[in-house]
Amino acid sequence: MLKFITAVLTSLTTGSIYALMSTALVLVWRSTRVINFAQAGQAVFTTYIGYEVTIRSGSYWIGVVAAIISGALIGAVIDRFFMRPIFKRIKSGPIVMIAPVVATLGLLGIIQAIIGFIWGLTYQSIPAPVSTDGFQVFGSTIAFSPFNLMVLISVTISMLLLTLLFQKTNIGLALRASAYSPEIAKLSGIKVDAIRTLGWALAGAAGGLAGMLFVPSSYLYPNAMDVLLVFGFIAAVIGGLDSLFGAVAGAMILGFAINFATSYISSKLVFPMAFIILILVLLIKPGGIFSSRKGRKD
Amino acid sequence: MLKLTSNKKRLLLFILLGWVLLLVGDRVGELRQYQGSFVATYSLAIASIILLTGYSGQLSLGHSALMAVGAYAGALSINNAHLHPVIALIIATLTAGVFGLILGVAVARLTGPYLAGTTLALAVSLPTLANQFPILGGEQGVVFDVGAPPARFGEGFSQYKWFFWISSLAALIMIWMISNLLNSRYGRTFRAIRDNQISAALAGINAGRVKVIAFAVSSGAAGLAGGLLVMLISGVSPSAFPLSLSFSLLTGAVVTGVYNLKGVMLGGLVLVAIPEIADSLTTRIGGSEGFTATLPGFLVSALLILAVLFAPNGPGHLIKRKKH
Repeated sequence: MLKFITAVLTSLTTGSIYALMSTALVLVWRSTRVINFAQAGQAVFTTYIGYEVTIRSGSYWIGVVAAIISGALIGAVIDRFFMRPIFKRIKSGPIVMIAPVVATLGLLGIIQAIIGFIWGLTYQSIPAPVSTDGFQVFGSTIAFSPFNLMVLISVTISMLLLTLLFQKTNIGLALRASAYSPEIAKLSGIKVDAIRTLGWALAGAAGGLAGMLFVPSSYLYPNAMDVLLVFGFIAAVIGGLDSLFGAVAGAMILGFAINFATSYISSKLVFPMAFIILILVLLIKPGGIFSSRKGRKD
Repeated sequence: MLKLTSNKKRLLLFILLGWVLLLVGDRVGELRQYQGSFVATYSLAIASIILLTGYSGQLSLGHSALMAVGAYAGALSINNAHLHPVIALIIATLTAGVFGLILGVAVARLTGPYLAGTTLALAVSLPTLANQFPILGGEQGVVFDVGAPPARFGEGFSQYKWFFWISSLAALIMIWMISNLLNSRYGRTFRAIRDNQISAALAGINAGRVKVIAFAVSSGAAGLAGGLLVMLISGVSPSAFPLSLSFSLLTGAVVTGVYNLKGVMLGGLVLVAIPEIADSLTTRIGGSEGFTATLPGFLVSALLILAVLFAPNGPGHLIKRKKH
């Protein structure tokens, strides 16, 4: 029973971090129709900024704010000064299909190299603001700590804020409209290009938060979030790539599947389990379980 | 006057190339022979990516994993089954091909970003399996030893020259086969599907089947390249096939021109040259340990972006356009 509860709680924690990454990927996908593989690099870079600020100011919370803001800025800059020119430049030829993906991959490499230039390859750690020792339940320690609880609460709050933004504000309406049909949105007077950049900024902020919540229970190094990128992608595919709710739900499904497989069968199953789920979803329901659209054109 | 079909011309061209390589191999030092073996291996891997991405329009980030499959298959057949290296390399090709066939059935109908993400997940997850089966040797991996060159080549025949011969010959044969395939009916169907899947289907092409074939052939070639690669570093371990290898190969393919098999050697040369250039740069200007270690990755990525931006159809097109 205790094992079961622990597994549920750890699933929720890891699932919520995957949810931030998959949300970031979905936000970019909705606005640009690109899977942003550079997201892992962006998130790590902003986490390094958060790390610097945390060390200099002594406060983890200022570090989190710095990471979120710099994440949003970097996301916006990348869209405005990197992705948009590429889309403008490459319009014809068979390269169109692969150019955006290849460009984000190149960007990922560049960001990770820049991190290496600035901070080196050594493992850093960000001290957690609250204890990372597990709670005591009936005299035994479980693998769920106050820090995990904090992660869960932070992600829930940020998801609620994002939902509010999308459902209750004019900006949210513009975001949804541009994702649904960019041309009609443009005709209705929405600045689709600016809204696209906003989507990238939101995604960057989500990535920065994901990094700051993930790193204290792990380490910080240039490739620290590659794995999270893969899990975020799988979660986004489960959810159908188009839907924010799907991204969160997919992340939770993935979190539960991985944690239950590892705690009940074998701890080596993390990657095989994730890959099997991905293949199963793609074979059985390639549109994703929670896709908000009926068909997908691209 | 002797009339040659294009197929015979191509065969003659490859034989000529092989002869040139043979002469070159005799005249350069051991370091160059060793680097030349890497060029051949990378060229083959890049050819496998060009076949898949350029001709059939599928973007794979998982070729490092497919190379690992071939490499492990080859290493196990030499190490555990004590087979002849040639047979081991053939087994490497076939195993990766069959693996690619199975994988292709599952993923080949995916488009663009889905395929890229799925193959990325494969590249991240497959190497971790090596730690779970004792036969794969965990982090230490398995030794891959092709043995000393046969005695009949004489005393002066070095190990590096032997590597160069094996990898060049294997790469030439495989690339020749790929180019035959691309110039056959299959090559045309690949391109038809890449350019317009619906009209290809209307013309009676079974898109799914053709894509799976492309995936399987590409995997087989990647498997052979993986076998050659671990031959050169004399052992296979998970760390020999990092995700960055997939990215490098993609860069090589884009630099070569994804839609053209002719320049693969250029891509191979670039991939071998980049670490050398980075090395000479860091010895000249110095820099921290992080700078030294990440400079090659930086150069590869920068080259990838520049190639996509300024020469998306390969350097050949760049020159052609300037002529106008």
